[in-house]
This record gives sequence, structure tokens and C-alpha cells, in this order.
Amino acid sequence: MKDALRVLAASGQLGYGMPAAALAAGIAREPHFIGADMGSIDPGPAYLGSGRMATSPEMTRRDLGQLLRAARKLGVPLLIGSAGTAGARPHLDATLELVRAIAREEGLRFRLASIAADIPKAMLRGAGLRPLGAMRALTDEDLERTTHLVGQMGTEAFIRALDAGAEVVIAGRACDTAIYAAVPLRLGYAPGPAMHMAKVIECASICCEPGGRDAMLATLEGDGFVLESMHPGRAATPLSVAAHALYEQDDPFTVEEPEGTLDLRAVEYQAIDARRTRVRGAQWRPRARPTVKVEGAGPLGERGVLLCSSADPKVIAGLGEILPAVQATIGELLGAPDYSLHTRVYGEREVFLLVECIAPSAARCKSVLGVFKQYLLHHGFPGRLSTGGNIAFPLTPPELDAGTAYRFTVYHVMEAAQLAPLFPVSIEDVK
Amino acid sequence: MTRLADFARVVRSKNAGPTLVTIDVLFADAAQLERALPAFEPAAIAALYGLAAGEVRIIAYRPALAIKVVMPRRLVAGEPGDRDVYGAQQHAPLLGLQV
Repeated sequence: MKDALRVLAASGQLGYGMPAAALAAGIAREPHFIGADMGSIDPGPAYLGSGRMATSPEMTRRDLGQLLRAARKLGVPLLIGSAGTAGARPHLDATLELVRAIAREEGLRFRLASIAADIPKAMLRGAGLRPLGAMRALTDEDLERTTHLVGQMGTEAFIRALDAGAEVVIAGRACDTAIYAAVPLRLGYAPGPAMHMAKVIECASICCEPGGRDAMLATLEGDGFVLESMHPGRAATPLSVAAHALYEQDDPFTVEEPEGTLDLRAVEYQAIDARRTRVRGAQWRPRARPTVKVEGAGPLGERGVLLCSSADPKVIAGLGEILPAVQATIGELLGAPDYSLHTRVYGEREVFLLVECIAPSAARCKSVLGVFKQYLLHHGFPGRLSTGGNIAFPLTPPELDAGTAYRFTVYHVMEAAQLAPLFPVSIEDVK
Repeated sequence: MTRLADFARVVRSKNAGPTLVTIDVLFADAAQLERALPAFEPAAIAALYGLAAGEVRIIAYRPALAIKVVMPRRLVAGEPGDRDVYGAQQHAPLLGLQV
């Protein structure tokens, strides 16, 4: 029987601040390693497409500093996945810069591994590519437009970094599970419980009742693992932990990972006390040929938005006819139809209108939205009372430049003969 | 008959990747789950979202006293015109379901 292995999940999304008391309580339990997830595909295509982080440099640096200090003080590995929100080269580089700057300022010394997750476009032109969910089939134009293309790495890449003596691992786009399962797998813990443990704690205390962002401790022991939130007000109950198997998953019974499938059909949840639950029974089925989820995004055009509202019952009732009529009117004035307009109407008694324009340039967006605004304001329709203006503007100017618009171009699964060449590890000694 | 909003303990929605949205309905006990389950007809749920019955999957997950609904997003997350990038407000049409 292996010794108990304590795993601290510090954050499900690094860079938004970490509740300090729970983090300190977790560190006091002397975990064997600390993990944190730093990214996701959830915030949409803008971050992957642009190469920018969703979190502010100030908060990101603060969170990274807290974890680097804690891990070095304990002398245990720190593993961070999906660096800089989307985990492409610019996100990874920006995160590494922050890590080096913190180490310099605080005199921390450690062996740093970085793992790139960028996939060459040419690799997708081969066979074995399958769209996920309702994703459209990949076209050459989509691929041409793609600015960043990443693959979700699995435990294999983290294990290579640890084998190279890494004390701090900063990984590009990674499966959430890989952050937490790599150390136990490398030490020979059973893969079923290790992967399941990783799946549950990757969102920190979200698997508790009530859920929260506080640090979460998992202890792998025997044929399962024990969960405990580091916030005394959050309880990991059999029901709350089971419910987490549903979270952001389209199938609560199986989880597909690059190196195999996690089968949760025989899982049992058992309360130890009011705040702790023991979990056992997950099975791991390795896959003969690894698969990698690939994500790509690229620019679609420039985006501008118009913010306005209406409190006039006749305008509100007539919006179904008024908006297309205004679009037709301005179409003649604006010339080339090189733009698209997307109108969202919110509310009933008083409605808010968010009008989005995508066009080749910010200047063109301003023209389109300005003209649209003016003709909507003064649009005449049968029975109109509001001849002073159909809409209200909360801001001036009411049309705003929203920067470049991005879209997901790739969300596919790719077969890979070997994983290692896709996710190269770089080692540096920070001192 | 009761509205789902007055019957379930939790009704939550979220993306499962940028192309799917998943709605988890959690109940207080097993009896309530079984009582609600017949109302989760794919065709009826699909109609609430303007989808075809074949596009909606219903999964009873008894360890969590839950029913999961999985359906395609109308637009891939973040496309122009998308109203809910995270998919966290897609449960509302389900709240009026009679169970």
C-alpha cells in the first residue's frame, strides 16, 4: 500500500485573487505538491485569438507570487496548466516573464520547466481530425485565419517535465486533470482514482456545498481519495461531489483524456464526516492511440457596439419591423455590404438594445453604427408617438470601439501517433 | 403539476466546450428525481429551445440526484450575435417545465 499523497488545488482559475485563509490552511497541511489551473476555453475566442490574458497583470502576478513562495518554502513541486488563459506561445511567454520577475525580486531559486502547446497548422491537414459537438468542418480559410492553435496536453508532458527535475512547471494549454494527475501517476498511484481525484479538484472548492473558489485538499490513499475544502464553511458531501461529475461535462459517466478514458460508472461516494467525502471505484482504460483536443481562433474583423434603450411601448412592440427597416434604409447609404449587424434586445417594459457591428475596420464600424443610430432614432412608423426620438442613449458617444473580433476556427480532436513531440519541455535554472 | 423552478433544488446551465450547452437539474431526493423524469421528453425539451428532438440528450445521473440535458449551442461560443458566451443563462426556458 502506498503512503497517503496530499494534493493542494490552489485555484481553478489563477489571476482573480485567491482567498487567503483557505490557501494558508492548505499550505499548513504540507501538501506533496501544489497545482493551479490558469485557463480555459470558456471565456471565448478573444484570448486565444489575440494572445492576451483575461486576467490583469497585477492580480496574476500576485497569485503567482503567493504560490511560488509557498511551494519553495515547502520544497514541493508547483504545477500550473493553461498558462495565461489560453495557453498559446504569447500566453506562456507572458506567464514565464512574470514567474522570472517574481523569482528575481524575491530571491527564489528553482528549476523551471515550460511546456509549449502550440500545434503547427500543417499537422491538421493530415487525416484523423474530427470536429467536436456542433463545430463546423475545418476549411482552408479558417486555418489561414487562425492566429493561435493549441493542443490540450495530458499527464505525459507534465511527467516529462518532472523527470527533468522541474520544481516549477508552467504549461501551455493543458487538460485540467493533467495538472493534478501527473505527480501521482509518476509515483505509481492507480490511474483510476488519480485521474478522478484530478477531475474533481481542478475547480478547487466548486465541488462543495456551498461551492466556492477556496483551496481544496485531496488525499490519495488506499483504493480511493478523500476530499476536504480548506474553507471551514464549505462541505464536500457525497451529493456535492457527485454533482461535480456533471459540471461542464456532456457525459457524467465517462471523461475522455488524451491517453485514455476515465470510467465513472462504478464510483462510490461515502461521507467521512460533515465536511469530508471518500471516493473510490473509478476505472481507467488506456487508449491505444492518443488523441488531442485542438483549439484555434483567429480574427473575424473589427467590432463596434452601440448601446441604447427604449421605454416607448409602441417602439418596443414594433421592433420586429423597425430594426430590419432601419437596416434596409442604411444599406443604401453605406454602400458596399462589407459589414454585419447583430442586434440583441433585452427586457420587456423598457428594453435595452445592444447592436454589434463587425466590419473590416474600426472606422467602418463607427460609420455603420453612427448611421444606424441616427436612422433608428428618427425612424417613422404607423402610430408613432415618440417623434422626438425612438431611443435613449445612456452614454455619449453611444457607439464604442470594441477592438478586434475573434472566432473559434478549430475545436477538433486529432489523433497523434506520439504525444511527446507535440509538447516540448524547456528547462531553465532560475536563480 | 408543478413548475420545475418550484420543484428542483438547482437548475444550472454551462457550456460543455464552445459547441455544446449542458443543463443540470438537481433534486432533493430520489423520489423527486423519478417524479420529474417523465417530463424530460427530448421532443418537449427540444421545442422549448427551438431544436429538433434528435438534437437533445437526456441523462439521469442518480448518484447526484440529477437529470442532465445536453444540446448544441445555436452559435459556437463568441460568434457575432452570441448572447451567452459561457452558456450560464440557458436554463431559463426550462424553469416553466411542468413536472
